[in-house]
Amino acid sequence: MKRKIIRVGSSRGILLPREVTKAMGWEFGSQTELTVDEKIKEVTLRTIKIDIPEEYNAEHLKEIEGTLEKFQEILGGIDD
Amino acid sequence: MTNEHYKQIKLLCYVHWIVSQKFNSEAGVRDIITLKEVVSMPGGGSLTCFTGDKLSNRKDLFTQLGWFVYYMIEGEPFNSRNKTLTSLMIIWVLNHYNLKYDTQNLMKFLENIDTMKTGNSDISSWFANNCQ
Repeated sequence: MKRKIIRVGSSRGILLPREVTKAMGWEFGSQTELTVDEKIKEVTLRTIKIDIPEEYNAEHLKEIEGTLEKFQEILGGIDD
Repeated sequence: MTNEHYKQIKLLCYVHWIVSQKFNSEAGVRDIITLKEVVSMPGGGSLTCFTGDKLSNRKDLFTQLGWFVYYMIEGEPFNSRNKTLTSLMIIWVLNHYNLKYDTQNLMKFLENIDTMKTGNSDISSWFANNCQ
């Protein structure tokens, strides 16, 4: 998609369309990483990914996160 | 403390963080000494069921779960949602081991544990009797 460079104070900026932020899951304050390839004149914007240390089983972490989603109603109702 | 102990502490801290994000509760460790107790079983043992060990002996598994539940509830090592974290880890492990249990019954049991009256071996026995 085409976007124009706009003035943001004394800087230059590009507004991200809603469908892009929605697809990327970006909210105000989300951390992103910008990389520039001067050779091919290309800029890439990506979500900062947290690398899980090798000693951890990523599948297990996903399972735990999935369990939290699945049982969120029950877990959220616990009187802690 | 071994590397395995620290690995388990880091795992619990991570899971507590996602719980606190989910329910907008206070993140962070309240008492690191208590948290070390949670993962430090007698004889240098630890909660290996959380970090990939597929324990073939159910008794060992339930002993670890009894220890975990007791010291989490009794010591409350995190700033908030200690019972929520405990319940989440227990549900995950029981499902991970393909054990059958009644969720409502489990939640009722975990919510009503009184650590003045119930020890870690009582909790282990409950798991042995109610999860198959």
